[in-house]
Amino acid sequence: MKKLIPNIFIVLLVSSCSNEAIYESFIFDNPEIELSIPIDFPVLNNSFYTNKPTKYGIELGEKLFFDKKLSRDNSISCASCHIPENAFADHNSKGIGIDGRVGLRNPPPIQNMAFMQVYNWEGSKSKLENQPLVPIITPEEMDASILDIIEKIEQDDDYIELFKKTFGDDDITGDRIYKSIAQYEYTLISANSKYDRVQNENDTFTESEAQGYQTFQEKCISCHSTALFTDQSYRNIGFPINPDNEETGRTRVSLNSDDLMRFRVPSLRNIEYTAPYGSFGQFATLEEVLDYLDNGVLEADNLDPILKDNNNRIPLSEEEKSNLIAFMKTLSDTEFIGLQ
Amino acid sequence: MKNLKKYLLLSLSVLALVSCNDDDVPVANNVTLEFNNTFGDETIVLGDANSADATVNISSEGQKHHFSELKYIITNIRLVNDEGVEFPYNTQNLDTGATIIDQSKPETLQYVLSDIPTADYTQIKFGLGVKEDLNTLDEELFPVFYNADLEIHWYWATGYRFTQVEGYYGDDNAPLSIHTGSVLGGDADDESTWNTEDIHARNAYRDITLNLTTSAMVGENAPTIKIKADFDYLLSGTNKITLETPSEGYTAGTLPSKHSSPSTMVEFVDNMAGNGDTDITGMFSIENVEN
Repeated sequence: MKKLIPNIFIVLLVSSCSNEAIYESFIFDNPEIELSIPIDFPVLNNSFYTNKPTKYGIELGEKLFFDKKLSRDNSISCASCHIPENAFADHNSKGIGIDGRVGLRNPPPIQNMAFMQVYNWEGSKSKLENQPLVPIITPEEMDASILDIIEKIEQDDDYIELFKKTFGDDDITGDRIYKSIAQYEYTLISANSKYDRVQNENDTFTESEAQGYQTFQEKCISCHSTALFTDQSYRNIGFPINPDNEETGRTRVSLNSDDLMRFRVPSLRNIEYTAPYGSFGQFATLEEVLDYLDNGVLEADNLDPILKDNNNRIPLSEEEKSNLIAFMKTLSDTEFIGLQ
Repeated sequence: MKNLKKYLLLSLSVLALVSCNDDDVPVANNVTLEFNNTFGDETIVLGDANSADATVNISSEGQKHHFSELKYIITNIRLVNDEGVEFPYNTQNLDTGATIIDQSKPETLQYVLSDIPTADYTQIKFGLGVKEDLNTLDEELFPVFYNADLEIHWYWATGYRFTQVEGYYGDDNAPLSIHTGSVLGGDADDESTWNTEDIHARNAYRDITLNLTTSAMVGENAPTIKIKADFDYLLSGTNKITLETPSEGYTAGTLPSKHSSPSTMVEFVDNMAGNGDTDITGMFSIENVEN
C-alpha cells in the first residue's frame, strides 16, 4: 500500500503534463465565415442558422466532397456526379455509382442550396445536413457505410487535424461529416451571371436575350420565379416518364396520389452547363426541352393547370425558342463554374 | 496461515450464498417470442412465381396471391405483469431490443428476451416498425441492427422498411411488392420538424397489444410466447384491397401500393397492424404460451 501511493502520484503527474501539452499547442479558433448573400435571393433555410459555415468546416467539407473514400470501393466521390464545371450537376442522364450501377435520377446541380427549402427532385429532405447520408448508403450510389468511412478517414492525419480545427477535438462522427459537407455546400452561391449584372445595371442584354427575357416573363416565370428561377413547388408537366418503376415523383414522400410524377421545379441558373435535362435526363439539349413543350406533353390527371388549360402545350415559335435559349444562357455564372 | 483461513471462510460463504439462491426462484429468466407467419392457419411457405410449394392464399376479393419474400421489424417490446406493471425491453435500443423477422430464415422467427424479471405476465405489447425517433439508419448508434439486413433499409428516406413483402398475384402471377415505412420528413428526434399532415398515413409505426391466452410465468420457467401473424389480413383485413395492374405509364414499385395508387400504404399498414385506436392487434394474435 505504501508503495502504491507514490505510483499513483506519478501517473497523475504524467497525465496532467501530457494534458497541458495538448492544450498549449492547440487553441481552438474556427471563425464563422460571412457569406455574401445576394439581396434579392429567397430566405435562407432555417438549418443554415444552426450550421453556419466556418473557416475549417468549409475546408473539411470540401475535402470530404472530393474524397473517393466516401464510396465503398473508393472509386467515386460526391464530385463524381456533382461536377464543379457543370454547376455541380452530372453529364450522365442518370447518376452512375460504384461498379457502374445506374441510379434513379439525374443528379441535380448543387448551387444556392442555402436558399432552398427542400432538396432532391421530390423534396425528400428539408435539411441539407440530412442529405449526404442518402448517396453514401444508397447501393446505386456510393454503397458505403458511415462506420467504414470513419475508419478510413481516421487513417489520414490531415483529417484528424481538420476535425480538431473545425470542432475543437478530433472525434470523427457521421454528424460532423454531414455538417461539414453541408457547410461547404452552403458556400456554393451562384449570383454573378450576366443576368445579375443586367439587373445591377452593369451590363445590357443583346436584342435576342432581351426578347428571350420577354418571352420568359410571358410563358415561363409562373414556375421559374424568384431570383433562383424556381418557385420550389412540385408540378407534373407531362415530361416522358421514367421507366424505372421506383419513380413516382413527389408521391413517394407525400403518399398522395395527386402528387404522382410531380417534381420540384428546377432552378434555371447555370442551365447551360447542366445538360441533360429532366428528372432522369430525358432531354439532351435545351432545344429538345422547348420543342417538347411546344409539341405537347403527356396527358395526366394532375397535369399542371398551366399546360392543361393550354392544350397540354406551351406554344413557342422557332424564334422565341432561340431567344429563350439566349436568355437562359445569361444565367451562366462563369466564375461559379471555374471558367474565370 | 491466517490468510488461508480467511480465504477458506470467504469461499465457503460464497458457496453458501450460491447454494441458497439455487433453492429460490431466480430473479429473472428468458422469454422467447416465436413468430408463426400464416395465411389463416397455414404457415406460409415462400416461393417464386411458378413455385408449386408456395402457400397460396385467396383474398376476400377473390385474388390469388403468394409471397416470395416476407420480412418485418418488431421493436418496442413490453411485457405487462398481472399487476399491470409494464416491463420495457430495451425499447430505446435497436441493437438489443429489436428484431427483423424474415420468413426465409428460420432462426429469425424466434427472438429471445433475456433477463425478464420474475413475474406472471398477462399481456405483451410491441411495435410493428420503428418509432420515428429511432428510425434514422444510424449505423453509429445501432451497428448490429443496422447491419442485420441491409435490404430492409429505405435508403432515400434514411429509414427502415417496416414490412417488406414481395410476391405474385392473380392468374398470370403478376409481381406484387408492398413496402411500408414512415415518411415524416424532418428530424427524427424533433417532432416539431415532422410533416404531420395526415400523420396517421405518414407514420407507419403501429403499437400492438395482445392479451396472453395463459400467463407467461417467468421465474423457474423460461416461457415461450407463440405469436401468429396472419398475412391474410394484408389484403383482407379491415380494408378490402384489390391489387391492380398499373395504369398506362405509371408503375409503383417500392411504394406500398396497389400498384396504381401509391397513396394506400396506410391501408396495408392498418390491415397488418391495426389503426392504433379501435384495432390494436391487426393480423397478430397469441397462439399459445408454453411455460
